[in-house]
Amino acid sequence: MSAVTSAVPVAHHGHDAAHDTHGADHHEDNYAVAWRHNRLGLWLFFLSEAFLFGGLLATRFYLWQENGITTRPPLNQVVGLVVTVVLLISSFSMNLAETGLEHGDRKMFMRGLVVTAVLGLVFLFGVMIFEWGLFPSIHETELSPSKDVYGAVVFAMTGMHAIHVISGLVFIVLIWNLGRKGHFSQERHWGVEACAIYWHYVDLVWIFFYPAIYLIGTAIHH
Amino acid sequence: MNGKRAAAYRASATVALFLAVLTGIEYFVAIDFPSTVVLLLLGLFKAVAVVNYFMHISRLWRQEGSH
Repeated sequence: MSAVTSAVPVAHHGHDAAHDTHGADHHEDNYAVAWRHNRLGLWLFFLSEAFLFGGLLATRFYLWQENGITTRPPLNQVVGLVVTVVLLISSFSMNLAETGLEHGDRKMFMRGLVVTAVLGLVFLFGVMIFEWGLFPSIHETELSPSKDVYGAVVFAMTGMHAIHVISGLVFIVLIWNLGRKGHFSQERHWGVEACAIYWHYVDLVWIFFYPAIYLIGTAIHH
Repeated sequence: MNGKRAAAYRASATVALFLAVLTGIEYFVAIDFPSTVVLLLLGLFKAVAVVNYFMHISRLWRQEGSH
């Protein structure tokens, strides 16, 4: 977790930079090497996660068919489109935040993080209210995780994705708090880059989940 | 520096617009000409844009020290 929250990369080479006799240049080199290693590690983590989400996608295409025809639950496509656009805009604001920091624009960095977190919450509550029906007083849904394969798969896919949205939101809050205290600079911001690409990964997963859940196949009404 | 910054913001907005347009096309394809292959292809185009421009996958192969 310290790789996530710290302004300093985790993968260092076992010595205190303050006591480095080779001076500041060597210290910067170590930081750059550590940054590169951490980046590779994060992408390997994404690769491992791809198997998880790929398995869920395979489950959807295996179970959602009747008489050889691909089917899908009768979800509200407008809701799907709206939450998808919200998540897409949050990826844009996150990219603005990261780009802002890389170009010395701290105001854009901090504001971008706040906008991303708010949009992430809107996405999360959109799914919770309109797909899960967690607040029946606002919206009721026929889907249930135990009713049939449609409910089970929708809840499995959106639930697993929601866990990643929540962890991404926690990540953003941590980065925002560190940024507020003056951490990160144009030259040293591995934590920000990790947070940004993690959030984009959450968006990337939804790029495939959105058509799989809402668009592909014939809507089945039971 | 301001010119570079503005160009970076413009590039970000262009990618976001591209993703929004493809999302809109996805929606109308699903309603008017439902095709699993077309929808998966559109998703693939969006994924490539996100991985390349937002997730900066090319940085994995850059020289150490650059970002």
